[in-house]
Amino acid sequence: MSEPKSTDGASATDATRSDAGLSTPRLLAILFREEWRLHTQLFGGWRFALFPLVIALLTVSAAVALIETGTAPGTVVGGLHVLAVGFGLYSGTAGFAGSDMLENVFGRLSLLLSSSTTLPLSRRRLLGAFLLKDGLFYAIVFVFPMSLGGLAVDGLSATPLLSIILFWLSLALVFAVGMATTVALIAVRTRGVPSWVIGLGIGLAGGGGWATGRLGPIRSVLVPIDGSPAAAGGLAVGTLAVTASSLAVYDPTYGRPSRTASDRFARVSDALPLEDAPLVTKSLLDLARSSGGVWKPLVSASILLALVAALVGVVDSITGVAPAPGIFFGGVLGLSAFTTYNWLTQFDSLEAYLTYPVSIADVFRAKRIAFVLVGAPAVAVPYLAAVVWFDATLVDAAVGAVLLAGYALYYYGLTVYIAGFDPNEFLFDAVRFAMFTVGVAVPLVPTLVAGFVVVPPSATLAVALALGGLVVGIVGLVLSSRAGPRWDARYRTE
Amino acid sequence: MGVIRVAGLRKTYGTVSAVDGMAFAVDRGEVYGFLGPNGAGKTTTIRVLTGQIEPDAGDVSVLGTDPVADPIETRRRVGILPEQESPPSFLTPREYLAFVGEVRGLDPDRVAERTDTWAERLGFESKLDTLHTDLSRGQQQKVMIAQAFVHDPDVVFIDEPLANLDPLVQEQVKRFLVSYAADDNAVFVSTHNIDVAEEICTRVGIVADGRLVAERSLADDATDESLLDLFLDRVEGEDARDTPALEQLHT
Repeated sequence: MSEPKSTDGASATDATRSDAGLSTPRLLAILFREEWRLHTQLFGGWRFALFPLVIALLTVSAAVALIETGTAPGTVVGGLHVLAVGFGLYSGTAGFAGSDMLENVFGRLSLLLSSSTTLPLSRRRLLGAFLLKDGLFYAIVFVFPMSLGGLAVDGLSATPLLSIILFWLSLALVFAVGMATTVALIAVRTRGVPSWVIGLGIGLAGGGGWATGRLGPIRSVLVPIDGSPAAAGGLAVGTLAVTASSLAVYDPTYGRPSRTASDRFARVSDALPLEDAPLVTKSLLDLARSSGGVWKPLVSASILLALVAALVGVVDSITGVAPAPGIFFGGVLGLSAFTTYNWLTQFDSLEAYLTYPVSIADVFRAKRIAFVLVGAPAVAVPYLAAVVWFDATLVDAAVGAVLLAGYALYYYGLTVYIAGFDPNEFLFDAVRFAMFTVGVAVPLVPTLVAGFVVVPPSATLAVALALGGLVVGIVGLVLSSRAGPRWDARYRTE
Repeated sequence: MGVIRVAGLRKTYGTVSAVDGMAFAVDRGEVYGFLGPNGAGKTTTIRVLTGQIEPDAGDVSVLGTDPVADPIETRRRVGILPEQESPPSFLTPREYLAFVGEVRGLDPDRVAERTDTWAERLGFESKLDTLHTDLSRGQQQKVMIAQAFVHDPDVVFIDEPLANLDPLVQEQVKRFLVSYAADDNAVFVSTHNIDVAEEICTRVGIVADGRLVAERSLADDATDESLLDLFLDRVEGEDARDTPALEQLHT
């Protein structure tokens, strides 16, 4: 009689042996060491070690600035929780090496996670340990520094340590909620549920909640520190249950069927009257055919719009002060340049291009063209929605459009200049992250202040801001033009 | 007069010396095997010769071009099959080869014709419209071999040519490399597979610690010492032969 097999292919005896051979704490310790080495090797030890400090400084500075300018403490607390959920949603993908998300971010990796294919380790057990490790690791490295922002909200009370710990637990819990949500969605997908059905489900749930006015209670649940201990406990138990169920549902043998495509390269390339047409076409087709397709940049920009719009709405309802929507959204939505560029560099590497007769400057120029082709519509739609929804004046909308174009180009140039072909290296690299943050803040903060102070914008302010947008856009062009030679020298003399 | 010439080549990464005084030359008609253990400096040498990185010192020349001063011209004239895996691309092999052809300024009809020829030769006709990211590693390697030859280069640099290929295709590729070099071209093959080097190369250079430690012509060499023995002597010294065999380790 043959031995019964578990659903992930390991026999019962194998599972017992693996449990006896490598305890979960030992497995966790190995995974933690791997995670640390991965980051320190990618970014350098001290640059990674400084990253939590940079996060803490940014969070505390932003929280103090918001409180001092009249933002309600509840809004700051809510905003930090939204950030924690968002980061959790993103981090939830990391456990699934082999999904194109992780491969695209770090390239092909030989993580311990892939050992389940060669060692007697259950894939589910390994994945569960991996997710637990990720949850704890990022709760310490990323979420804890964020929780120091609570100091600005509460002030230095008699028990600041307890306040910080409670705030950290609250943020860590919603970070875990985000991770569990992503894990659940991926698990469902491995059971053959198409991505569009999942997307539709999320859209309907969100729209339904908004239409029926039930987003308020959800918000209170997702800010545990403002609710009862019982509600927080319930959320924690629910998160654990969802994660455990997801691991049970997850099918480790799921393999995406091979996909075919009709020959579009020549048609697209011929339609682009450019010297770099083949390089641009490759970027566009890679993006269009990857998971989520060309909609990804639009979704990223729309999420940014939704977050900022919610914040503006809350500030308006509490303080009665609303910004000039064109100027405000034009400045902020330009930040989507970073995510758009990120999507455009997920499917290639500079090293791969160096086998063809093209220079690194050619590659960067092609990326800039692809960025404009993809980024312009992706950011124009949310911007138009914002100015219509918030009833911007014509002058305000026009100035905002100039700011949007100029700032997007500037943020793009800044990203390319600092991070080259690897914008994800901003993650956990303290020096680059700080440089980028300062570079963004220099034009953006005064613009946002102006947008709040002079509503609607005067003619003088409108002209000044429009000129500022043009100048900043030119700076962005210069930065992106210089990125080619800069990174060419770095790569060739490595 | 060699089509590939290297003299006094040096390259360090930080404190690690990857190539340390490399010197050799390759002529037309040769399949030159660059044989060495992992980390010997083979890939670094190829990257310098194809203008991907700059050396710290030394003179290099490929087909009369200077890969350091004019890397684009060098890469225009040679074919390159890199060792590292290509990142996930969502182009199909047909589109990818069209992309390579366009980057190299080739006539699209000629590229289409050559795509069909290579697909038939290496057996990936049925995969021409499958996304590259969904191909097996072996199929991806076949496509990468095709792109290295799509423009009929006079010199081809190949890093581990037979990686991930099934035995049938390995034989086809080996025969093709020999015949390609015989057509007055040069094929530069970096490998650590001694059997492959012995089978297809006309001459072999053995590399260790960033230097060329031995060279042997395989076309008309009548020496009794096998290439494996020469390799072990020059790379590890006589002690290498005393390394216990796997059978001994097992017992």
